[in-house]
Amino acid sequence: MAYSDKVLDHYTNPRNVGSLDKASAEVGTGLVGAPECGDVMKLQIKVNPETKIIEDAKFKTFGCGSAIASSSLATEWVKGKTVDEALEIKNTDIVKELSLPPVKIHCSVLAEDAIRAAIGDWKKKQQDEA
Amino acid sequence: MSTDTKSAEKAKLAHECWSCGAMRAAHFCESCGRVQPPVPTDYFSFFGLPRKLNIDPKQLEREFYAMSRKLHPDLFVRAVDQEQSWSLEKSSQLNDAYRTLKDPVTRTEYLLKLEGVNLEEQSKTATETARAAGTQKKQMVPPDLLEEVFELNMQLEEARMNKKMGEDDPSLKTELADTRRRLDGKFNALAAELQRDWDEWDAVIARAESGEIVDTERTAVRDKMVDLVNRRSYIRNLVRDLNEVLGN
Repeated sequence: MAYSDKVLDHYTNPRNVGSLDKASAEVGTGLVGAPECGDVMKLQIKVNPETKIIEDAKFKTFGCGSAIASSSLATEWVKGKTVDEALEIKNTDIVKELSLPPVKIHCSVLAEDAIRAAIGDWKKKQQDEA
Repeated sequence: MSTDTKSAEKAKLAHECWSCGAMRAAHFCESCGRVQPPVPTDYFSFFGLPRKLNIDPKQLEREFYAMSRKLHPDLFVRAVDQEQSWSLEKSSQLNDAYRTLKDPVTRTEYLLKLEGVNLEEQSKTATETARAAGTQKKQMVPPDLLEEVFELNMQLEEARMNKKMGEDDPSLKTELADTRRRLDGKFNALAAELQRDWDEWDAVIARAESGEIVDTERTAVRDKMVDLVNRRSYIRNLVRDLNEVLGN
Protein backbone atom coordinates (compact mmCIF):
# COMPACT_ATOMS: atom_id res chain seq x y z
CA MET A 1 0.00 0.00 0.00
CA ALA A 2 1.25 3.46 -0.79
CA TYR A 3 1.72 5.83 2.09
CA SER A 4 0.89 9.51 1.71
CA ASP A 5 3.77 12.00 1.61
CA LYS A 6 2.95 13.23 5.09
CA VAL A 7 3.01 9.72 6.53
CA LEU A 8 6.33 9.07 4.83
CA ASP A 9 7.71 12.31 6.18
CA HIS A 10 6.78 11.48 9.77
CA TYR A 11 7.87 7.88 9.32
CA THR A 12 11.33 8.64 7.94
CA ASN A 13 11.78 11.70 10.12
CA PRO A 14 9.71 11.13 13.26
CA ARG A 15 9.44 14.06 15.69
CA ASN A 16 9.85 13.79 19.43
CA VAL A 17 10.96 10.19 19.70
CA GLY A 18 12.14 9.34 23.19
CA SER A 19 10.96 9.32 26.74
CA LEU A 20 10.35 11.59 29.72
CA ASP A 21 10.79 10.85 33.40
CA LYS A 22 7.84 8.62 34.19
CA ALA A 23 8.13 9.30 37.93
CA SER A 24 7.87 13.08 37.62
CA ALA A 25 4.62 14.65 38.87
CA GLU A 26 4.59 16.88 35.78
CA VAL A 27 4.73 13.94 33.36
CA GLY A 28 1.79 11.88 32.17
CA THR A 29 2.34 8.54 30.42
CA GLY A 30 -0.06 6.74 28.11
CA LEU A 31 0.58 3.21 26.91
CA VAL A 32 -1.94 1.80 24.47
CA GLY A 33 -2.16 -1.02 21.97
CA ALA A 34 -4.15 -2.34 19.04
CA PRO A 35 -4.38 -6.12 19.37
CA GLU A 36 -5.49 -6.67 15.76
CA CYS A 37 -2.11 -5.65 14.43
CA GLY A 38 0.04 -5.95 17.54
CA ASP A 39 0.99 -2.27 17.72
CA VAL A 40 2.07 -0.63 20.96
CA MET A 41 2.34 3.11 21.44
CA LYS A 42 3.75 5.06 24.36
CA LEU A 43 3.11 8.78 24.53
CA GLN A 44 4.33 11.07 27.31
CA ILE A 45 3.56 14.70 28.07
CA LYS A 46 5.21 17.20 30.39
CA VAL A 47 2.78 19.75 31.73
CA ASN A 48 3.65 23.16 33.21
CA PRO A 49 2.04 23.12 36.69
CA GLU A 50 1.17 26.83 36.54
CA THR A 51 -0.18 27.28 33.02
CA LYS A 52 -1.34 23.67 32.36
CA ILE A 53 0.37 23.97 29.01
CA ILE A 54 1.99 20.86 27.55
CA GLU A 55 5.59 21.94 27.21
CA ASP A 56 7.07 18.74 25.95
CA ALA A 57 5.86 15.48 24.43
CA LYS A 58 7.69 12.28 23.50
CA PHE A 59 6.62 9.03 21.95
CA LYS A 60 7.84 5.59 21.08
CA THR A 61 5.75 3.38 18.84
CA PHE A 62 6.27 -0.17 17.66
CA GLY A 63 4.03 -0.67 14.68
CA CYS A 64 3.42 0.19 11.07
CA GLY A 65 4.31 3.45 9.33
CA SER A 66 0.85 4.90 9.88
CA ALA A 67 0.98 4.20 13.63
CA ILE A 68 4.38 5.87 13.89
CA ALA A 69 3.24 8.85 11.82
CA SER A 70 0.01 9.21 13.84
CA SER A 71 1.86 9.30 17.15
CA SER A 72 4.58 11.57 15.80
CA LEU A 73 1.92 14.01 14.62
CA ALA A 74 0.09 13.70 17.95
CA THR A 75 3.18 14.84 19.88
CA GLU A 76 3.59 17.79 17.51
CA TRP A 77 -0.02 18.80 17.98
CA VAL A 78 -0.22 18.55 21.77
CA LYS A 79 2.91 20.62 22.32
CA GLY A 80 2.01 24.20 23.24
CA LYS A 81 -1.62 23.32 23.91
CA THR A 82 -3.25 23.29 27.32
CA VAL A 83 -4.37 19.93 28.63
CA ASP A 84 -8.00 20.79 27.90
CA GLU A 85 -7.18 21.88 24.36
CA ALA A 86 -5.27 18.65 23.75
CA LEU A 87 -8.33 16.65 24.75
CA GLU A 88 -10.13 18.23 21.78
CA ILE A 89 -7.90 16.42 19.28
CA LYS A 90 -9.93 13.81 17.44
CA ASN A 91 -8.69 10.78 15.58
CA THR A 92 -10.48 12.08 12.49
CA ASP A 93 -8.24 15.19 12.54
CA ILE A 94 -5.23 12.88 12.32
CA VAL A 95 -6.84 10.88 9.51
CA LYS A 96 -7.38 14.07 7.53
CA GLU A 97 -3.93 15.51 8.14
CA LEU A 98 -2.15 12.30 7.15
CA SER A 99 -4.69 11.19 4.48
CA LEU A 100 -4.89 7.77 6.11
CA PRO A 101 -6.80 5.12 4.14
CA PRO A 102 -9.75 3.35 5.85
CA VAL A 103 -7.65 0.30 6.80
CA LYS A 104 -5.33 2.57 8.80
CA ILE A 105 -7.94 4.48 10.75
CA HIS A 106 -7.24 2.35 13.82
CA CYS A 107 -3.74 3.89 13.93
CA SER A 108 -5.28 7.33 14.41
CA VAL A 109 -7.64 5.93 17.06
CA LEU A 110 -4.60 4.56 18.85
CA ALA A 111 -2.92 7.97 18.77
CA GLU A 112 -5.98 9.68 20.24
CA ASP A 113 -6.17 6.96 22.89
CA ALA A 114 -2.51 7.58 23.73
CA ILE A 115 -3.07 11.33 24.18
CA ARG A 116 -6.09 10.73 26.41
CA ALA A 117 -4.31 8.02 28.41
CA ALA A 118 -1.31 10.32 28.99
CA ILE A 119 -3.52 13.17 30.12
CA GLY A 120 -5.52 10.78 32.30
CA ASP A 121 -2.33 9.60 33.96
CA TRP A 122 -1.19 13.19 34.54
CA LYS A 123 -4.58 14.16 36.01
CA LYS A 124 -4.47 11.19 38.36
CA LYS A 125 -1.07 12.33 39.58
CA GLN A 126 -2.43 15.81 40.30
CA GLN A 127 -5.29 14.34 42.36
CA ASP A 128 -2.92 12.08 44.25
CA GLU A 129 -0.71 15.09 45.02
CA ALA A 130 -3.59 17.16 46.32
CA MET B 1 -47.48 -9.07 -4.20
CA SER B 2 -48.13 -9.03 -0.46
CA THR B 3 -45.33 -9.66 2.00
CA ASP B 4 -46.89 -12.97 2.91
CA THR B 5 -46.87 -14.34 -0.59
CA LYS B 6 -43.36 -12.98 -1.10
CA SER B 7 -41.97 -14.81 1.90
CA ALA B 8 -43.90 -17.90 0.92
CA GLU B 9 -42.27 -17.69 -2.51
CA LYS B 10 -38.89 -17.30 -0.89
CA ALA B 11 -39.44 -20.28 1.39
CA LYS B 12 -40.44 -22.28 -1.63
CA LEU B 13 -37.26 -21.28 -3.44
CA ALA B 14 -35.15 -22.17 -0.47
CA HIS B 15 -36.53 -25.64 0.03
CA GLU B 16 -37.75 -26.90 -3.28
CA CYS B 17 -35.52 -28.43 -5.92
CA TRP B 18 -35.37 -26.13 -8.96
CA SER B 19 -35.31 -29.15 -11.27
CA CYS B 20 -37.83 -31.69 -9.98
CA GLY B 21 -39.77 -29.66 -7.43
CA ALA B 22 -39.13 -32.05 -4.55
CA MET B 23 -37.86 -30.88 -1.19
CA ARG B 24 -34.11 -30.70 -1.13
CA ALA B 25 -31.26 -31.19 1.28
CA ALA B 26 -28.90 -28.26 1.87
CA HIS B 27 -26.71 -28.63 -1.21
CA PHE B 28 -28.31 -31.30 -3.36
CA CYS B 29 -31.86 -32.32 -4.05
CA GLU B 30 -32.60 -35.42 -2.02
CA SER B 31 -34.80 -36.71 -4.75
CA CYS B 32 -32.94 -36.08 -8.02
CA GLY B 33 -29.47 -35.17 -6.70
CA ARG B 34 -29.14 -31.90 -8.64
CA VAL B 35 -26.94 -29.13 -7.20
CA GLN B 36 -29.05 -26.41 -5.56
CA PRO B 37 -28.43 -22.68 -5.94
CA PRO B 38 -26.03 -21.18 -3.39
CA VAL B 39 -27.79 -19.29 -0.62
CA PRO B 40 -26.11 -16.82 1.73
CA THR B 41 -25.04 -18.91 4.68
CA ASP B 42 -22.42 -18.96 7.39
CA TYR B 43 -19.72 -21.63 7.34
CA PHE B 44 -21.21 -23.59 10.24
CA SER B 45 -24.57 -23.87 8.49
CA PHE B 46 -22.80 -24.73 5.25
CA PHE B 47 -21.66 -27.95 6.89
CA GLY B 48 -25.00 -28.37 8.63
CA LEU B 49 -23.30 -27.75 11.96
CA PRO B 50 -24.66 -25.88 14.99
CA ARG B 51 -22.74 -22.75 16.01
CA LYS B 52 -20.56 -24.67 18.44
CA LEU B 53 -16.80 -24.69 18.71
CA ASN B 54 -15.98 -28.29 19.47
CA ILE B 55 -15.84 -29.86 16.04
CA ASP B 56 -14.48 -33.30 15.31
CA PRO B 57 -11.70 -32.57 12.78
CA LYS B 58 -11.84 -36.07 11.28
CA GLN B 59 -15.58 -35.82 10.72
CA LEU B 60 -15.20 -32.34 9.22
CA GLU B 61 -12.48 -33.59 6.89
CA ARG B 62 -14.63 -36.52 5.76
CA GLU B 63 -17.56 -34.19 5.08
CA PHE B 64 -15.28 -31.87 3.17
CA TYR B 65 -13.90 -34.58 0.90
CA ALA B 66 -17.30 -36.13 0.34
CA MET B 67 -18.80 -32.79 -0.63
CA SER B 68 -15.79 -31.81 -2.74
CA ARG B 69 -16.19 -34.94 -4.79
CA LYS B 70 -19.90 -34.38 -5.29
CA LEU B 71 -19.56 -30.67 -6.09
CA HIS B 72 -16.49 -30.86 -8.30
CA PRO B 73 -17.06 -28.63 -11.34
CA ASP B 74 -15.67 -31.34 -13.65
CA LEU B 75 -18.78 -33.38 -12.91
CA PHE B 76 -20.96 -30.66 -14.33
CA VAL B 77 -19.40 -29.94 -17.71
CA ARG B 78 -22.44 -31.41 -19.41
CA ALA B 79 -24.96 -29.96 -16.94
CA VAL B 80 -27.13 -26.92 -17.63
CA ASP B 81 -25.30 -23.60 -17.31
CA GLN B 82 -26.81 -22.62 -14.00
CA GLU B 83 -25.95 -25.92 -12.34
CA GLN B 84 -22.40 -25.59 -13.66
CA SER B 85 -21.91 -22.16 -12.16
CA TRP B 86 -23.62 -23.17 -8.92
CA SER B 87 -21.29 -26.11 -8.48
CA LEU B 88 -18.35 -23.81 -9.06
CA GLU B 89 -19.60 -21.24 -6.58
CA LYS B 90 -20.42 -23.86 -3.98
CA SER B 91 -17.04 -25.52 -4.39
CA SER B 92 -15.33 -22.29 -3.58
CA GLN B 93 -17.70 -21.68 -0.64
CA LEU B 94 -16.88 -25.17 0.54
CA ASN B 95 -13.13 -24.51 0.41
CA ASP B 96 -13.47 -21.26 2.34
CA ALA B 97 -15.72 -22.87 4.92
CA TYR B 98 -13.37 -25.80 5.42
CA ARG B 99 -10.23 -23.69 5.65
CA THR B 100 -11.88 -21.44 8.22
CA LEU B 101 -13.37 -24.14 10.43
CA LYS B 102 -10.44 -26.55 10.26
CA ASP B 103 -8.11 -24.36 12.30
CA PRO B 104 -9.12 -23.89 15.96
CA VAL B 105 -8.10 -20.24 16.06
CA THR B 106 -9.56 -19.08 12.74
CA ARG B 107 -12.71 -21.02 13.70
CA THR B 108 -12.92 -19.08 16.97
CA GLU B 109 -12.21 -15.75 15.27
CA TYR B 110 -14.84 -16.50 12.66
CA LEU B 111 -17.43 -17.31 15.32
CA LEU B 112 -16.63 -14.08 17.15
CA LYS B 113 -17.23 -12.18 13.92
CA LEU B 114 -20.57 -13.95 13.47
CA GLU B 115 -21.40 -12.96 17.04
CA GLY B 116 -20.98 -9.31 16.09
CA VAL B 117 -17.45 -8.71 17.32
CA ASN B 118 -15.60 -6.10 15.30
CA LEU B 119 -12.51 -5.06 17.22
CA GLU B 120 -11.64 -2.04 15.11
CA GLU B 121 -15.16 -0.69 15.08
CA GLN B 122 -15.59 -1.30 18.82
CA SER B 123 -12.28 0.36 19.63
CA LYS B 124 -13.27 3.43 17.61
CA THR B 125 -16.68 3.64 19.27
CA ALA B 126 -15.13 3.25 22.74
CA THR B 127 -12.75 6.13 21.97
CA GLU B 128 -15.62 8.33 20.82
CA THR B 129 -17.63 7.50 23.94
CA ALA B 130 -14.68 8.28 26.20
CA ARG B 131 -14.13 11.56 24.35
CA ALA B 132 -17.77 12.63 24.66
CA ALA B 133 -18.03 11.63 28.32
CA GLY B 134 -14.58 12.85 29.30
CA THR B 135 -13.79 9.44 30.78
CA GLN B 136 -10.93 7.02 30.32
CA LYS B 137 -11.27 4.35 27.69
CA LYS B 138 -10.68 0.85 28.93
CA GLN B 139 -7.91 -0.72 26.89
CA MET B 140 -8.73 -4.08 25.32
CA VAL B 141 -5.41 -5.56 26.39
CA PRO B 142 -4.39 -5.88 30.05
CA PRO B 143 -1.96 -3.05 30.99
CA ASP B 144 0.72 -5.41 32.31
CA LEU B 145 0.76 -7.26 28.99
CA LEU B 146 1.10 -3.95 27.12
CA GLU B 147 3.99 -3.03 29.41
CA GLU B 148 5.66 -6.36 28.72
CA VAL B 149 5.14 -6.01 24.96
CA PHE B 150 6.63 -2.53 25.02
CA GLU B 151 9.70 -3.47 27.09
CA LEU B 152 10.38 -6.53 25.00
CA ASN B 153 10.13 -4.48 21.81
CA MET B 154 12.74 -2.11 23.24
CA GLN B 155 15.07 -5.05 23.85
CA LEU B 156 14.42 -6.46 20.40
CA GLU B 157 15.29 -3.11 18.90
CA GLU B 158 18.55 -3.09 20.81
CA ALA B 159 19.37 -6.63 19.70
CA ARG B 160 18.67 -5.75 16.05
CA MET B 161 20.89 -2.70 16.36
CA ASN B 162 23.69 -4.84 17.83
CA LYS B 163 23.37 -7.27 14.97
CA LYS B 164 23.58 -4.47 12.43
CA MET B 165 26.65 -2.99 14.08
CA GLY B 166 28.27 -6.41 14.36
CA GLU B 167 28.32 -6.11 18.14
CA ASP B 168 27.55 -8.91 20.53
CA ASP B 169 25.68 -8.65 23.80
CA PRO B 170 25.56 -12.18 25.24
CA SER B 171 23.58 -11.18 28.34
CA LEU B 172 20.87 -9.56 26.24
CA LYS B 173 20.69 -12.67 24.07
CA THR B 174 20.39 -14.89 27.13
CA GLU B 175 17.64 -12.71 28.48
CA LEU B 176 15.75 -12.78 25.19
CA ALA B 177 16.11 -16.55 25.00
CA ASP B 178 14.64 -16.83 28.51
CA THR B 179 11.78 -14.57 27.47
CA ARG B 180 11.14 -16.71 24.42
CA ARG B 181 10.89 -19.83 26.57
CA ARG B 182 8.49 -18.08 28.93
CA LEU B 183 6.32 -16.77 26.09
CA ASP B 184 6.30 -20.17 24.39
CA GLY B 185 4.94 -21.57 27.64
CA LYS B 186 2.31 -18.84 27.85
CA PHE B 187 1.34 -19.41 24.23
CA ASN B 188 0.93 -23.14 24.73
CA ALA B 189 -1.14 -22.58 27.88
CA LEU B 190 -3.59 -20.58 25.76
CA ALA B 191 -4.68 -23.74 23.93
CA ALA B 192 -5.98 -25.25 27.16
CA GLU B 193 -7.65 -21.98 28.09
CA LEU B 194 -9.29 -21.82 24.67
CA GLN B 195 -10.59 -25.36 25.11
CA ARG B 196 -12.24 -24.37 28.42
CA ASP B 197 -13.87 -21.36 26.74
CA TRP B 198 -15.09 -23.58 23.90
CA ASP B 199 -16.71 -26.00 26.34
CA GLU B 200 -18.37 -23.11 28.12
CA TRP B 201 -19.57 -21.65 24.84
CA ASP B 202 -20.97 -24.96 23.60
CA ALA B 203 -22.83 -25.46 26.89
CA VAL B 204 -24.41 -22.01 26.50
CA ILE B 205 -25.46 -22.79 22.92
CA ALA B 206 -26.91 -26.13 24.02
CA ARG B 207 -29.02 -24.29 26.58
CA ALA B 208 -30.11 -21.78 23.94
CA GLU B 209 -31.11 -24.67 21.69
CA SER B 210 -33.36 -26.02 24.41
CA GLY B 211 -35.14 -22.67 24.53
CA GLU B 212 -33.43 -20.99 27.47
CA ILE B 213 -32.66 -17.28 27.40
CA VAL B 214 -28.88 -17.11 27.74
CA ASP B 215 -28.01 -13.71 26.25
CA THR B 216 -25.93 -12.55 29.22
CA GLU B 217 -23.92 -15.76 29.39
CA ARG B 218 -23.47 -15.77 25.65
CA THR B 219 -21.95 -12.27 25.68
CA ALA B 220 -19.78 -13.09 28.70
CA VAL B 221 -18.16 -16.16 27.10
CA ARG B 222 -17.84 -14.32 23.81
CA ASP B 223 -15.95 -11.46 25.45
CA LYS B 224 -13.70 -13.89 27.28
CA MET B 225 -12.71 -15.35 23.93
CA VAL B 226 -12.12 -11.88 22.46
CA ASP B 227 -9.72 -11.21 25.31
CA LEU B 228 -7.95 -14.51 24.71
CA VAL B 229 -7.61 -13.96 20.97
CA ASN B 230 -6.16 -10.48 21.62
CA ARG B 231 -3.57 -11.73 24.09
CA ARG B 232 -2.75 -14.56 21.75
CA SER B 233 -2.00 -12.31 18.79
CA TYR B 234 0.39 -10.18 20.86
CA ILE B 235 2.26 -13.20 22.16
CA ARG B 236 2.38 -14.77 18.70
CA ASN B 237 3.89 -11.61 17.22
CA LEU B 238 6.47 -11.37 20.00
CA VAL B 239 7.55 -14.98 19.55
CA ARG B 240 7.79 -14.38 15.80
CA ASP B 241 10.01 -11.32 16.36
CA LEU B 242 12.12 -13.18 18.92
CA ASN B 243 12.64 -16.02 16.46
CA GLU B 244 13.69 -13.54 13.81
CA VAL B 245 16.26 -11.92 16.11
CA LEU B 246 17.55 -15.04 17.85
CA GLY B 247 17.26 -17.46 14.94
CA ASN B 248 15.35 -20.69 15.47
